[in-house]
Amino acid sequence: MVDFGRVQKELQECSRDMEASGIKIAPVSDNLVHLSGTIPGPIGTPYEGGTFHLDIKLPDGYPFEPPKMHFVTKVWHPNISSQSGAICLDILKDQWSPALTLKTALLSVQALLSAPEPDDPQDAVVAQQYLRDYQTFQGTARYWTESFAKTSSLGVEEKVQKLMEMGFPESLVRSALEAVGGDENMALEKLCSS
Amino acid sequence: MDDFMSGDEDYYDSDHSESDLDSPDIIENDEADVQWAPPKGSSTKVITKESLLAAQKEDLRRVMDLLSLREHHARTLLIHHRWDVEKLLAVLVEKGKASLFSDAGVTVNEDTGSSLSFSSEVMCDICMEEVSADTATKMDCGHCFCNECWTGHFIVKINEGQSRRIRCMAHKCNAICDEAIVRNLVSKKHPDLAEKFDRFLLESYIEDNKMVKWCPSTPHCGNAIRVEEDEFCEVECACGLQFCFSCLSEAHSPCSCWMWELWAKKCRDESETVNWITVHTKPCPKCHKPVEKNGGCNLVSCICGQAFCWLCGGATGRDHTWSRITGHSCGRYKEDKANKTERAKRDLYRYMHYHNRYKAHTDSFKLESKLKETILEKVSISEERESRLRDFSWVTNGLCRLFRSRRVLSYSYPFAFYMFGDELFRDEMDLQEREIKQHLFEDQQQQLEANVEKLSKNLEEPFDQYPDDKVMEIRMQVINLSVITDNLCKKMYECIENDLLGCLQLGTHNIAPYKSKGIERASELSTCWTTKPNTADNCLPLDCGTSGGSSEHDRPSGSGSSDDSGCFSRKRPRKEGFGGGFFDLNLPAEVIDRN
Repeated sequence: MVDFGRVQKELQECSRDMEASGIKIAPVSDNLVHLSGTIPGPIGTPYEGGTFHLDIKLPDGYPFEPPKMHFVTKVWHPNISSQSGAICLDILKDQWSPALTLKTALLSVQALLSAPEPDDPQDAVVAQQYLRDYQTFQGTARYWTESFAKTSSLGVEEKVQKLMEMGFPESLVRSALEAVGGDENMALEKLCSS
Repeated sequence: MDDFMSGDEDYYDSDHSESDLDSPDIIENDEADVQWAPPKGSSTKVITKESLLAAQKEDLRRVMDLLSLREHHARTLLIHHRWDVEKLLAVLVEKGKASLFSDAGVTVNEDTGSSLSFSSEVMCDICMEEVSADTATKMDCGHCFCNECWTGHFIVKINEGQSRRIRCMAHKCNAICDEAIVRNLVSKKHPDLAEKFDRFLLESYIEDNKMVKWCPSTPHCGNAIRVEEDEFCEVECACGLQFCFSCLSEAHSPCSCWMWELWAKKCRDESETVNWITVHTKPCPKCHKPVEKNGGCNLVSCICGQAFCWLCGGATGRDHTWSRITGHSCGRYKEDKANKTERAKRDLYRYMHYHNRYKAHTDSFKLESKLKETILEKVSISEERESRLRDFSWVTNGLCRLFRSRRVLSYSYPFAFYMFGDELFRDEMDLQEREIKQHLFEDQQQQLEANVEKLSKNLEEPFDQYPDDKVMEIRMQVINLSVITDNLCKKMYECIENDLLGCLQLGTHNIAPYKSKGIERASELSTCWTTKPNTADNCLPLDCGTSGGSSEHDRPSGSGSSDDSGCFSRKRPRKEGFGGGFFDLNLPAEVIDRN
């Protein structure tokens, strides 16, 4: 069984220093086995300015088994599948330690964005481009960040309006939007599942 | 192997031996008897479920003594180095103790006292709860977490099959957890899982160790075999299965493992037949049956009535002239095609030659048990007769020799097939050298074959109906031929090892050495070990190597415990008789050698 006490504490601890780290974790379902994480693109990389959403599922053995994470936001990166968002990162596999937390894992993912490892690629196409034509790689990565990782141009009020039109009460819509960092689709998902 | 050197003077050729038979004192029957005594202190051991622990004690003890370590640390080191003590020692010399330990995840904690006592509450970083100090455990590496979390971690790791390398929970801590703590904590919650953990740990000695392998029997007998020095040997497990230790298939010397693998595959596929069919036949364009051309012109007609051109395989009309077939025209007969046909034919005949002989001998030894039965029947009849001849051990000895030599002979054919063929050693020898060597080998093979057949013929004589003097004569023949075939086998192995395989540039072919006594039966390990390191090492009587029988009573007193009942239980009592039955792992090797 997942240690929910610990997950609860992790969430509290994460929200406490959200300002500093920029990392957010919010439950998608009530039972805390399905969560969503958000990391800001690291400054000085083609991912800068983007907000990246990850889907997090906790296996039964958590924290003794690593959480299962993948990118929901499309990313152009040698160690992240451009198709499925699967991440190739050792601490999410055999190097996982129970002493790591969801927050530290997300920080490692963020660090992976700044320091790709093209020699151990998840996405061979991206990795080849990275090695052979770094300029084009940067361009593509930036373009993907612009297209997929920037919050939509709609203002908050417009999003609230849109979601309310779908039949959700205003208070719920607002709290949902807040919980997912203003992402309209994520908020909708959260509203539907709650 | 040393025995091989003495082979020359004992060598008889077949003509020689006929005349030698007249002087019966050439071969002492006693000598022949001695030959069949079970091997003394065989170097291969059967490791059963019960003796698995005892089997690894020697290695553990060496490492424990040398580095003054506790057993679980020694085990961690050995598992890391795949039970290769020499390699472990080399790393120790080369990199030093600290590096040896840290690479393997061993942390030796000097202050063994509970350092948790200073506070009654500790924070567990895993569950993020404050827990009382007595429900938390500190590993040797210094990391402390609550028992609940440790247990959870252990269970996940054991279920993942990671029992042999359970690391500390702290991030980037390389330390391997103390097996006693794992065992203790897990058994409280899941006793069955703790058992599994213990078994995984014990079986590391078999699975991570190149000198120990599971017996390949199916259904599995549960035993493993340990060899001492040479991985290239053939053994017989306690379950009766004989196999090649190196490749785990049937015992196949003097064929090398690689040759045997190729040969077995070739026999299985019958690839030569397929080869022949593709070259010698063409599928009919109508009914697709393979059609063989039995002479005549290139207009071939299938039994289904369809006519086709032999050259291109295309369907044609029936009328033809010497240069043209109606409704059809294709290129000329091609030279390389003729070569290909020639070659395939030659290869096939070559394969058939070796395969037929291999098969003939294999078939013969498949009938062994039947032959043995009929011959032993003759022995029992003879024994009941009023006769001055009482001892018929020469018959059984002769039979054993016959069976062994037949095996050697049979596997020598696939060996020759590859040794003198193009497939493996084309670039190793020029044609002339190959021819010389082939003749040399074939001479030996032929001699052996002739003597084996003679031995076989003698044993099949109805000696139970013969008068005494005739029986005596057969007895002399059998004993003589036994010695001859033994020597010829020895020489053949010698020739293969030194003159044939030994000359190769690519040293990838090794064969199990010839054993005159046949494939060695692995002896059982005694299981009189306690898990605790005992202190009796130093007070072992020095003379305990003098007799196998008495040393059994000279066990180190420290080991006298409740598991004594399981000691020395031997499944096969016939082994009691000879020295070296008790193999004390505590003794240094030179004492054991004297045994």
